[in-house]
Amino acid sequence: MSSEQLSGASLSQTTISARLKMLSRLHKIEAKRGLMEIIVNPFSNFMTILVIAIALALPSGLQILLENGKTLSSNWDGASRISLYLKTELKETKLHALANLVRETKGVEKVDVITQEEALADFKERSGFADAIAQLDANPLPPVLVVQPKATHTSPQASELLLAEFKTHPEVELAQLDLDWVRKLYALLQLAEKAASALGLALALAVLLIVGNTIRLSVQNRREEIEVVKLVGATDAFIRRPFLYTGFWYGLFAGITCWLLLNISILWLSDPVAKLAGLYQSQFEIAGLSFIQSIQLIAISCGLGLLGSWLSVGRHIRLIEPH
Amino acid sequence: MIEFSDVSKRYPNGQDALRNVSFEIADGEMAFLTGHSGAGKSTMLKLICLMERATSGQVVVNNKNLNRTSRRKIPGVRRNIGMIFQDHRLLFDRSVFDNVALPLMIAGYPHREIGRRVRAALDKVGLLSKEKHSPIMLSGGEQQRVGIARAVVNKPPLLLADEPTGNLDPKLSGEIMHLFEQFNQVGVSLLIASHDLSLIAQMHYRTLVMKEGRLVEDQADAPEPDDSIGLDSYNEQSDHTKSGDHYE
Repeated sequence: MSSEQLSGASLSQTTISARLKMLSRLHKIEAKRGLMEIIVNPFSNFMTILVIAIALALPSGLQILLENGKTLSSNWDGASRISLYLKTELKETKLHALANLVRETKGVEKVDVITQEEALADFKERSGFADAIAQLDANPLPPVLVVQPKATHTSPQASELLLAEFKTHPEVELAQLDLDWVRKLYALLQLAEKAASALGLALALAVLLIVGNTIRLSVQNRREEIEVVKLVGATDAFIRRPFLYTGFWYGLFAGITCWLLLNISILWLSDPVAKLAGLYQSQFEIAGLSFIQSIQLIAISCGLGLLGSWLSVGRHIRLIEPH
Repeated sequence: MIEFSDVSKRYPNGQDALRNVSFEIADGEMAFLTGHSGAGKSTMLKLICLMERATSGQVVVNNKNLNRTSRRKIPGVRRNIGMIFQDHRLLFDRSVFDNVALPLMIAGYPHREIGRRVRAALDKVGLLSKEKHSPIMLSGGEQQRVGIARAVVNKPPLLLADEPTGNLDPKLSGEIMHLFEQFNQVGVSLLIASHDLSLIAQMHYRTLVMKEGRLVEDQADAPEPDDSIGLDSYNEQSDHTKSGDHYE
């Protein structure tokens, strides 16, 4: 055998830096090939990308709504007040004495007194039944103490304790947590958050399956090519590479599509939400995805695309052997 | 270069493709492998490039015992073997250049080295002017020469050819054989499976004759075409043996 022929094994002679350069070059070629695969067949690939984007948009959209719901309820939570409806026959002096007593209670920030007259005047003005009320002999409305707990005493347990304490006063007819329903909403939101996480996991799995199946079809379409490159000595890693890139591109495009879908939806919802918030004298606005969250969303999408194709391609190229 | 010791191959369906075959091909030797369809020629080539594994016996190629080669080591074995197929097995979505460059890309050669070697290989087979063409634009003979360029581009010490002239007319076949001789002259070992006996007879190289999975003759020179397994008898029998073609 001549010395020239032995150079068939001359690979070891090439320097490491030259090999690394070639590897990065190969990656560029394969990345481009994976991208072309998507571009040359835009329709069916767009469908796949859209399906993945929708699967991602559902849990992330829900997450956005929950985040907004939480900020909304925590805003109100800080303002949660306790109303003490007192007995109607209570004299005004005793009313103020009681107000002072309540004011001394631990955990109370301030107490507003609403006398029977004030309550009636307010009701007349707001209800529009002024004429009807004028017909009444006696004022049916009770005097009210509006208790604003300190910020440290707004948790459900602390509020319950305060409420129980106020109920011990004989003058108190009814003690009510004004924003009880906000707490219920909060609990509901926590439940919904769990459900959203479960949905997110299920849909992430669905994305893996969609990408995996698409890559499986792609592997089968390129069966002949895979046989040929195996025959000329390609390793599994070499064969896997373009498919991994295809998966990655699917993830990237789906992530961007999902981001667009979410932002369009938020834009679409922002007007009615502003109107609704206006009815409650609130400046509330839906908060969309922050920059970091957008990057996270796209990164997760890319990761899922890559993982889906990884799980699929290894198994399927193993099955293809040249014959 | 190639050493078969008492090698048998039985396919999962029970067909015995090779029965106790032993032979040796030295470094730098060129040999033909002939026999009817289904005689075991292709199976022998498949064992050498690890497309199949021997059921018993030992196959040693390039001083490597293939019985002990793990799945992960198969690419390394194949990189030292140039393979040429009857149906060329080119990738039609890539240019002639890219087809020939494939083994070098896989082995991670530097870019400049790839260009140099691919052009040298294409020049050798006389297709340098067509490097940018798609293989689909080439004639059958030209496609086969692209396949040959791809097989020799990384200068493997061993070339295997499975019916390389199967679809070509005698003149083109002669040209291909002449190319093989040139490779052999610079030290490449070649094993060429072919049933084109008249062509083999002209070449005067060692010829291994297979029959029903056994090595029945090992001649230092090619048998004459009017031999017992001549073309006429091949044509008569080919219809009966066609069914076993893919196990060949």
